[in-house]
Amino acid sequence: MIRQTTYDRFTHDITNRGISAWILSALLTGFYLALYFTEWFTPIAQSIGLDGKWTLYGLLYTIAIVGGGIFVIRRYRHNRYQVIRTCVVMFVQSVLAFALPQFLKAIHQPEYYFSYFWPLKLDYLTPNTIFHYPLPIILFSFAGSLLLVPIAGAFFGKRWYCSWVCGCGGLANTAGEPFRHLSNKSTAAWKFEKAAIYSVLAICIVLTALLFTTYAVGPKHPDLAAFTYKFQSFYGLIVGTMLSGVVGVGLYPIGGTRVWCRNFCPMAALLGMVQKIGRYRITVKKNMCISCGLCSKYCEMGIDVRSYAQSNESFTRASCVGCGLCAEVCPRGVLKLENVSNRAPQERLVQITL
Amino acid sequence: MHFVVIGNGVAGITAALTLRERESAAKITLISGESDYFFSRTALMYAFMDRMTLRDLEPLERKSYDAQRIDRVRDRVTDIDASAKMITLQSGQTMQYDALLLATGSSPNQLNVPGVNAAKQGMVNFVTLQDLEQCEKHTRLGGNAVVVGGGLIGIELLECLVHHGMKVDFMVRDPWYWPAALNKEEAAMVTEHMRHHDVNVLLEESVVEIKSNNSGKVEAVIGSSGKRYDVELLGVAVGVHPSIEWLAATKTAPKVNRGILVDSAFRTSLPHVWAAGDCVELASTGLVEQIWYSAKRQGELAAKSILGDAIDYRPPIFYNSSKFFDIEFTTTGKLGAESFYHRVAGKEISIRVSWENSAVTGFNMLGSRWNHEFFERWITERRTPEYVMKHLLEAQFDGEFGTLPLNFNFQRGSK
Ligand SMILES: Cc1cc2nc3c(=O)[nH]c(=O)nc-3n(C[C@H](O)[C@H](O)[C@H](O)COP(=O)(O)OP(=O)(O)OC[C@H]3O[C@@H](n4cnc5c(N)ncnc54)[C@H](O)[C@@H]3O)c2cc1C
Ligand code: SF4
Repeated sequence: MIRQTTYDRFTHDITNRGISAWILSALLTGFYLALYFTEWFTPIAQSIGLDGKWTLYGLLYTIAIVGGGIFVIRRYRHNRYQVIRTCVVMFVQSVLAFALPQFLKAIHQPEYYFSYFWPLKLDYLTPNTIFHYPLPIILFSFAGSLLLVPIAGAFFGKRWYCSWVCGCGGLANTAGEPFRHLSNKSTAAWKFEKAAIYSVLAICIVLTALLFTTYAVGPKHPDLAAFTYKFQSFYGLIVGTMLSGVVGVGLYPIGGTRVWCRNFCPMAALLGMVQKIGRYRITVKKNMCISCGLCSKYCEMGIDVRSYAQSNESFTRASCVGCGLCAEVCPRGVLKLENVSNRAPQERLVQITL
Repeated sequence: MHFVVIGNGVAGITAALTLRERESAAKITLISGESDYFFSRTALMYAFMDRMTLRDLEPLERKSYDAQRIDRVRDRVTDIDASAKMITLQSGQTMQYDALLLATGSSPNQLNVPGVNAAKQGMVNFVTLQDLEQCEKHTRLGGNAVVVGGGLIGIELLECLVHHGMKVDFMVRDPWYWPAALNKEEAAMVTEHMRHHDVNVLLEESVVEIKSNNSGKVEAVIGSSGKRYDVELLGVAVGVHPSIEWLAATKTAPKVNRGILVDSAFRTSLPHVWAAGDCVELASTGLVEQIWYSAKRQGELAAKSILGDAIDYRPPIFYNSSKFFDIEFTTTGKLGAESFYHRVAGKEISIRVSWENSAVTGFNMLGSRWNHEFFERWITERRTPEYVMKHLLEAQFDGEFGTLPLNFNFQRGSK
């Protein structure tokens, strides 16, 4: 019997930046442009009983995550971290990010997504939008964005959000799995990442501050209000539409799955800063690395994991989303994701298991 | 100051980087007949299996050689003249050195059976980039292959061939797979695993003759059982030896035995010439270490010795790791007279803790991850098996949610 091969990504045109990869990239980009800027999908959505193109998009997105998730669970079934994480991702997408908002809409309540927070979703903190929601949701939204996100980030690293909850990360780690190795590992790419992502975060914070100011004094300063709302829609177009949607997913077959998460997402930037001072780290087993490079190759964030591993350095990189694939592919068991507390990490392990 | 390093493997590159760190002004030349840039030999199989490109095997960004001012020369060294402090390359070029490091690594052993000289095509090793090219050339979906040699490189080659859909017979000379490192129980588990991956494992079988056609293409091998195996690829993985043959033809050769003889500061018998890595034999003990970790360690220490540090190399407690298809393997120390073996029911996971005179001596762990540093400490501290079994979980290195359940009662003599 000849077995199916699972990893030969370089022999497949589509996962090796071949012609079919470029075609797929063009199709995905075209799809997103059509979705955002035309109404082509509205009649299709209505013909299958959905209320609009965004519901159709949500449905397709959920199918991609659940389908891709099943594929990922099958591939990494021996690794419980991967299995549990992927199950959570599938649950969050299908329930919190799809079924529940649809249900709320059906019972004529505001459509609210419990898995999104500021600064990824600007609207969920800024007064001109969030104050239209009922009080419990306003409270949840503020507590989520200002308390849950940073506190969980300090304890578990950004992974609790970026690779366990978030829809963007969810798609990357499920349907996007076959493209993860395409991320750019050069130091130049790392430099670009740092410049880009903190710029977006800075802009996002300025805009948030402006929206609060406008909310407070806007009626007396119509010029400021006009400017702020223009700024907001411009930010929405560039960051929300172009970078997270069109570029973020459109470039999967060319630049890997986390182009958006790595270079542009303000939430990732913020959580990355929290992560640097929090407990999460990748522990490197001393003197066991054979410098094979599988960890670096399969890092979707383009982190050169090997460079840390071969020099025996346990590390925390701001961009690391804690997907755990470096530890999974390492043939010498060198890497371990951990939340290091004051206790020795090894003691903690015993506690969990015995 | 001109430092010349022959061999750009892990020993050579580590030495070059260490020299650069301490001597910012010196000229450093790194010579290799095999590749332009340092690559991870250990990852050869992942390139073969298309999990990575050849370029991904290079641990250093190419521009870093310029940044570190390490001059690369792609050529073979053919002569050493220690009295003139000069080497000669195959191209005829000569080069003066102030200090010379030999880090020439190891070369694959060949079979010594009738027909081996006539076999020009289809008989492959799996050690160099050039070997990889040959392997790829003769690999064909659905084709027949025989791999001989029951060690680590053999099983890696096997996995690659199976991955590409070849039908593979694996000939192991011994009564079980890799008796040098594994006990019968572990070997049985690994063998079962290989069979599960469609490898036809043949124990106590070896090649006694190779048959090739007129153009030198291997067609079949004859086993010691008398059976004929028709093949298009014959993988030979019967160990490696230090690359020292070329030294015999040099004007001034350093003293060699199995490898280049060095003292505990990696000095050879020639003045201003050091050696490190796979090519070395420690004169005091006769030890030839041929693993990645020792080559890396030796490269660094040899460089420090060249720089004038007082180096007194004592090999640390042996440890190594490997992977048999999907089964990870960690070993530390050596097996003593007694041992405790436990196989996790229904899983390809086993542990073996071994001791002698009430002090633990070694560990053989399969299918789960362990931090060998704990093992080394326990061996050094001469801990009792009872102590070690009680603290065993501290050495666990499996990922979150995946920690091995160790629910057994340990009693000495229980196995
Ligand atoms: C397939 C495979 C898998 C392995 N996996 C593992 C593993 O998992 N773990 C582990 O610990 N070890 C492993 N090893 C062993 C490990 O790769 C070696 O121990 C290590 O590479 C030795 O490094 P080195 O620098 O001494 O020599 P090498 O890496 O062999 O480098 C020596 C270089 O010198 C060059 N050279 C030799 N003579 C000359 C000359 N006259 N002129 C110019 N250049 C010359 C050679 O061409 C070669 O490029 C593996 C080996 C192989 C082949
Ligand atoms: S995958 Fe493991 S052995 Fe390979 S380079 Fe990374 S840490 Fe080292």
